[in-house]
Amino acid sequence: MDTSLTPASPHALALIADTEASLREGLVPAAIYNDAELHRLELERIFARAWVFIGHESEIPSPGDYRLRYIGEDPFIFIRDESGKVRCLFDACTHRGAQICRAEKGNASHFRCPYHGWTFQNDGRLVGLPAAKMAYEGMDRECFNLHQAPRVESRHGLVFASLEPNGPSLEEYLGDFAWYFDLHFALGTPRVVGEPHRWHMDVNWKIGGENFSGDDYHTLTLHKSMWDLGIIPVPAAANMMGKHIQAGGEFASHSMSFSIDPNEDGPPPHWWGLTDEQAALLDRSRVTPEHLRVARRARVTVGTMFPNLSLILLALSRDPKRKPPSIMFGVRQWQPSGPNGMELWSWVFAWEEMPADYQREMYLNHASTFGTSGIFEQDDTEPWSSMTRTGGSTFARKQKLRLNYKMGHAGVGSSEVITDFAGPGTVWSNRYEEGVMRNLVWNWIKWMTDGAPDPGSNGRRDLRDLNLELLAEREARAASRNGGAG
Amino acid sequence: MSTIAAVDLATHYEVEQFLYHEAACLDDNRIREWFSLIADDIDYKCPIRITRERAAGAGFSDEGMHFDDDWGMLEVRVDRLETEYAWAEDPPSRTRRLVSNVRVQATERPDEWSVRSNLILYRNRYDYTSHQIIAGERHDVVRRTPEGFRLAKRWIYLDQATLATHNLGIFL
Repeated sequence: MDTSLTPASPHALALIADTEASLREGLVPAAIYNDAELHRLELERIFARAWVFIGHESEIPSPGDYRLRYIGEDPFIFIRDESGKVRCLFDACTHRGAQICRAEKGNASHFRCPYHGWTFQNDGRLVGLPAAKMAYEGMDRECFNLHQAPRVESRHGLVFASLEPNGPSLEEYLGDFAWYFDLHFALGTPRVVGEPHRWHMDVNWKIGGENFSGDDYHTLTLHKSMWDLGIIPVPAAANMMGKHIQAGGEFASHSMSFSIDPNEDGPPPHWWGLTDEQAALLDRSRVTPEHLRVARRARVTVGTMFPNLSLILLALSRDPKRKPPSIMFGVRQWQPSGPNGMELWSWVFAWEEMPADYQREMYLNHASTFGTSGIFEQDDTEPWSSMTRTGGSTFARKQKLRLNYKMGHAGVGSSEVITDFAGPGTVWSNRYEEGVMRNLVWNWIKWMTDGAPDPGSNGRRDLRDLNLELLAEREARAASRNGGAG
Repeated sequence: MSTIAAVDLATHYEVEQFLYHEAACLDDNRIREWFSLIADDIDYKCPIRITRERAAGAGFSDEGMHFDDDWGMLEVRVDRLETEYAWAEDPPSRTRRLVSNVRVQATERPDEWSVRSNLILYRNRYDYTSHQIIAGERHDVVRRTPEGFRLAKRWIYLDQATLATHNLGIFL
């Protein structure tokens, strides 16, 4: 038990306990999407402990390159120091806590605090004190280096930080999900194009991550304009065919969804919109033949790595009257900003192996559909903000309003667990399934209760047990169906 | 541009009136009419801005764009607004575009002017008392054609690094 955590209030504990009870019925209390006490706990128990995405190495290629980033709501300098090591320095002078990084991007060998002039090298060391002899003779400077994220790890160029000194490694935290992480980030050499789009919306951060874990069902209504205009080449019903996956390990479980061709040799799009010739340009040395088999059949990927990093690869034609389908590839982070707000950060990726004009196509595909002005994504902001409003409403609390996450839960729907998929984890076949979202809520419960001084909350929770329970339910249902048919 | 020169009052007035007309089409939700004012070689961009130190310039991205549209992409946006599933803008935002500080300069082409203007865009939705303000400068190229003025280029330079709007489902 981590006793350094602030105790949760009875209100927060009751809401978390209700979430657990509700989830066993495939329901989630609306109130968790807009609650000030839960928000405070999320910052401390989730964002200050989990592995949180900070940026991509291609954003800071040279020593001294930096970007201002956030973990939860706290500012960090994502920087490559003079020795080439990537660090996350807390953007607060160790003297009085003033902001030392005053731009969002640049190259710096040092940061000088504007308040009293304390100066730090780009590895965080305190190297300059004005009038040091007069002012600080006798003080041990070593104790006043910049604070920094105790652990920073990179995987295929994506950099994550954990503010918890002792915890699972990034690899342990990813668990089986690493297979899917590598499928998307170790195939070819992705780079970030331009600066991330950033915008604010009155939406709780969890809602975006849940949507991207595989709320494919919403595409049939909310995004119908994309099919009406011919932007998405795979017909809407066919696009619901594919896989929902929960994969992870002891510490966290992550979710993703593929629209995938049921056949090896179905019609294009393959490779999320690349032609075979284009896909052949990508460096394949870091992935397995199984990865390639799945990638060739993939038409769409969305996924969420707990807590707040999502990815999307999508075959689309942004201007269907004039352009054939091609690919977009993006990574996005749902950054908390109060209990009822978030900043969406959206990075656009292109592969370095691709010709420059194709990389630009990838950028345009993303900017026009999933950027700030994106014609696909802009419709999402409507239900997401009203869902947040519902969560904060008095009547939802009075009524104990519980939202419906029943699809694929205990006897509901048509999606089935399969065991012959190339990748690991629990795999459901067809995308009419919401276990991917429940999985993120289970993670949320686990991280929110872990270490909480509440004997009823059962301490560390083994997610795999919960997933296995759900799996057992599915298998029992399948068996009874087969029995009925026979 | 080597031959930048001030323009006569009449031309300045005409070009300015074109900007007001174009803004009124958008504020009145006459989007298809607005689109008829767009030249088929339009270059419509809105670079991402980030905070930089003074010496590093204004902080506009070379590669990162909120909009990076040609005529075809703008047409897709207009077509989409006319579908029954453009939830983000149906019901539409109530917008008011204040266009000011208009500066018109001649270019090397006798039928084209380089126009800079400031934009304050007020946006309100539903019965909310809250509103969003989008502010920036626009660098346009306005062209005279036999059918009237057409917008041949618009680059929008916004004044926010993190946009305080839930989407750019509207034109700037």
